[in-house]
Amino acid sequence: MKPVPSFTLHRSESLRDALRLLGELDDPKLLAGGTDLIPLLREGACSSRDIVDIGSLAELRFIHDIDGRIHVGAGTRLQEIADSELIADKAPMLQKASLSVGSPQIRNLGTIGGNLCNASPAADTAPALLALDATISVQTASSRRDMQLTGLFKGPKTNSLAPDEMLTEISFRTPPFGAGMDFQKLGRRNTFTISIVNAAAYLELENGVIEEARLSLGAVAPTPIRLELCERQLEGKSPSQLVFEDVAASCRVLASPVDDHRASADYRREMSGVLIKRALAIALERARRHGP
Amino acid sequence: MKITFTLNDSETHVDVSSNKLLLDLLRTDLGVLSVKKGCEQGECGVCTVLVDGEPVNSCLVLVERLSGRKVTTLEGLSDNDLMQALQKAFVEDGAIQCGFCTPGMLLSAYSLLRKNRKPSLDDVRRAIEGNLCRCTGYTKIIHATLDAAERMRIE
Repeated sequence: MKPVPSFTLHRSESLRDALRLLGELDDPKLLAGGTDLIPLLREGACSSRDIVDIGSLAELRFIHDIDGRIHVGAGTRLQEIADSELIADKAPMLQKASLSVGSPQIRNLGTIGGNLCNASPAADTAPALLALDATISVQTASSRRDMQLTGLFKGPKTNSLAPDEMLTEISFRTPPFGAGMDFQKLGRRNTFTISIVNAAAYLELENGVIEEARLSLGAVAPTPIRLELCERQLEGKSPSQLVFEDVAASCRVLASPVDDHRASADYRREMSGVLIKRALAIALERARRHGP
Repeated sequence: MKITFTLNDSETHVDVSSNKLLLDLLRTDLGVLSVKKGCEQGECGVCTVLVDGEPVNSCLVLVERLSGRKVTTLEGLSDNDLMQALQKAFVEDGAIQCGFCTPGMLLSAYSLLRKNRKPSLDDVRRAIEGNLCRCTGYTKIIHATLDAAERMRIE
């Protein structure tokens, strides 16, 4: 196996320090967990020779529920999210999605910010966070802006951040009591596998009628996608098998997958409808169980 | 760069280049040979070590990032009751074929049993999902892990 080419590892003691380095260096690359970056460096697929290490920044590692929103630091390890009682209680599909990334060894290193910023169309935490309508905070040495998570994804393995910007936080409205949600994944194996298709569904019911619906799919388009059209199909309706079938049919149209070594485009299109139906069925069951 | 970290309870000083990975430091420079070199991409789990008690792939960890951290390999657990129970169960239950995955498997199983002394079959499967056994001896490995948990409860 090829050795990792040499580079300069810039250790940062604080977030401020790291943001300053990002602004000053010519072609900086952030190192968080390293589970994607180290193999890329080894393959020679990363040209940057200035690596900014943010892996030990405690400031980026937190899970809080404040003022009706759940805030997750971008440097929070995937295993920490999977082990969080708050996430398990309030956003179980994010727990499920985090647990489906890699293996324990990978989740102990890999961060949620890294999973998102790598912008893999198949990233498992992406559909869960899209269906939670997540917002992200992006910082530079001198500014901070908040934007919708959808805006982060630009194309396969490409995010929209400028070289001096860092994703520092992900947040979403704390799901109210009575919200139902689920994440579904299809891979070649049951565990430690990259998604052929993944999907997430979020439902809020009001007197048995769907008040709010949010749906998302991964690995069926250049980026993870929100399915607003399908959400409009659901809202204001009483949930039924028929309505869910209509939504699944729309999913197959909205998906624009590619053929690759994992699966054919046709199979992905077909399975996107199946996974959305599965996620919807569980989300509905949960919404009904907790609801009034 | 000079780095100090704890390896199996002894303070260890090394002078490494920025691209030095923990796996290579352990095997080549420090002679810690229970840690195996496999895929070098974080896929196979034969290079598993514990960093601050949690299993990670040492092929993905830059040594420079380990300053002040605690690294544990199988060598550091030879007197540990739980590890001894696991090793005994692996040997007696036929959970070792070629043996290449065994150190990594033992550390993943150890990490599970340290937190959960009564794991379910699924808990064990989940805990070793990041460790490939190319002899495909998973059934016996899972059985031996459950057996070790049972032995620890009896003792």
